[in-house]
Amino acid sequence: MDAILNQAFAGLSMASILLIVALGLAIIYGSMGVINLAHGEFVMLGAYAAWAMQSFLGFSILVSLPFIFVAIAVVGWVVERGVVHRLYRRPLDTILATWGIGIVLQQLVRMFIGPESLFVATPTILEGNTVIGAVVMSNYRLFVIAFAVAVLAATWGLMTRTEFGTRLRAVIQNREISECYGIRAEKVYATTFAYGAGLAGVAGALLTPLVSTTPSMGTYLVVDAFLVVIIGGVGSLIGTAVAAGAVGEATALFSMLMNDTLGRIAVLLAIILLIRFRPNGLFPQTIRR
Amino acid sequence: MNRTNHYDFLGYVAFAIIILLGVPFLLGFDGFELNTFARYLALAMVAMALALSWGTAGLLNLGQAATFGIGSYVMAMHLKLAASTGNPGGMPDFMGWTNVEALPWFWQPFQSLSVTLLAGLLLPAAVAGLMAIFMFRGRITGVFVAIITLAFMVALQLVFIEEQRFTGGQNGLTGLAPLELPGWTVDTYSLPFYYLVAGCLIVALLVGMLVVRSKVGLVLRAIREDAARLRYLGYDVAAYETFVFCLSAAIAGWAGMLYTLVLEFASPTYMSVSFSLAIVIWCAVGGRESLVWASVGAILVNLAEGRLSDMFVEGWLLILGLLFIFFVIFLPRGLYGLAVAAMDRLRRSPRTEPPVPVKEG
Repeated sequence: MDAILNQAFAGLSMASILLIVALGLAIIYGSMGVINLAHGEFVMLGAYAAWAMQSFLGFSILVSLPFIFVAIAVVGWVVERGVVHRLYRRPLDTILATWGIGIVLQQLVRMFIGPESLFVATPTILEGNTVIGAVVMSNYRLFVIAFAVAVLAATWGLMTRTEFGTRLRAVIQNREISECYGIRAEKVYATTFAYGAGLAGVAGALLTPLVSTTPSMGTYLVVDAFLVVIIGGVGSLIGTAVAAGAVGEATALFSMLMNDTLGRIAVLLAIILLIRFRPNGLFPQTIRR
Repeated sequence: MNRTNHYDFLGYVAFAIIILLGVPFLLGFDGFELNTFARYLALAMVAMALALSWGTAGLLNLGQAATFGIGSYVMAMHLKLAASTGNPGGMPDFMGWTNVEALPWFWQPFQSLSVTLLAGLLLPAAVAGLMAIFMFRGRITGVFVAIITLAFMVALQLVFIEEQRFTGGQNGLTGLAPLELPGWTVDTYSLPFYYLVAGCLIVALLVGMLVVRSKVGLVLRAIREDAARLRYLGYDVAAYETFVFCLSAAIAGWAGMLYTLVLEFASPTYMSVSFSLAIVIWCAVGGRESLVWASVGAILVNLAEGRLSDMFVEGWLLILGLLFIFFVIFLPRGLYGLAVAAMDRLRRSPRTEPPVPVKEG
């Protein structure tokens, strides 16, 4: 029983990271229909930014989070203005272009920083564990869970309570008519892409104390995050949250019951079956197009 | 449209002459050099297979390397068994190390050459066919085809690595015997072997071009433009899509068999995401709409890789990535598109007679 509870906590911790990664992916996919295969590399860049801040400036992760968010958002903005915005009429080509961007980013990091894995320390305030009964929960993981919930709330607020969110939703529903009302869709898209990338960067930074930081760390994560987005349904934040929880717990359960490889194969087959039978996700949003 | 086909055919003949005569002549009919080039030709074949489904029908198969890998494993299994006849029970050495007691049933048919050659074509086609029926009956299109095929390939590669007892795991199948065709022990560093690979590519191109030029090809191109409209007209879109997927997979499997012969081993990296991406890049560089140009793209990129990666090992992937982004944004039709544009200009410029204005009244 204790083992199961501990594993459930591990799953929840996994889910919280997935949620932040997937939120960025879901916003970009939901608003522009762009499947951003470079998203994993944004996560990786965030992790390296956390490492750089720590080793050159001595900042702990908590301090550097806002900087990382802005830095990776800028990278996302450049990618959107430089490449992605030229391809909105060719969705298949955006997959290819973002794939190419992913390779380039990964290779740049490998060349200039090196392929070996790097170490980033857990913030000293968050060291130690909280023990409830037989369940041992690390404070850092608890913090990440709380942070993910906060990010979800902030994103929800941004989408529903701000002028920007209104514009974004208008553009999602009908780009041409929104433009007729004076909304600059291009700008909205660029900002959204940057926000999604920034979230990926934050997720990468939060991951650093938990997994080893390598140039290819994002690749695995983006597959799971993509699964979350598909299960959650395009444009549904609550769906994304529920799906992140489900995938995190399921992965934890699978790796306990079977080995990691089989768990991985199960995840991939789940993606295939879901796309085939529920291409709009389990929580589809009804938008009149 | 007919004129385009006409040029395609001329291009095909030129391409055939170059790889049959030009390349061997330039490389001095040297078996060792030609072995390297035979590798490029095998890769050109899988690029052409992708162009068949992607360029013609608009179905981007990001898992093309999966069918290529199946073909290469089929050939490797045959050659591994041929190399293991001295072992107890005729079992491959790695099975002995992992305590497999008898040769598994799915290895046994590959003792026969004809079964192997057939299976190298039919097995990939069958796998692709099942995937295609699964996808296209549900009217999955565009981006989702790409994601499903990609996910399938990654899962397949994981299975091949995980089942080390039967597949050699991460090491793949190594220590293969040379292929014994009736009356010919294939020496991969010889001129005849180069002609075997070149001949296969030329035949595969011919088959592909005949399909593209036939009515089936016309329907496939129409599907690329507007599948719903074809459905209204009463065409069974899924059946056409499944057909082109199977054909493309069979050619990819064929290329995989040749690739195993050239490199003398099969490895799970043949089914890796990066290899599959490379195939897409070759196609994009050459031009996905033309089978011949897709092959040319594969050959050119691999030639460049052979030359450049000696100079900067690290930088090559970076260059490839940038090249890919450049082509996707600015030259979505690849070198083929450039060639077509150049042809159009050449044809128009000598006599630029203004069109005779039609007088009214």
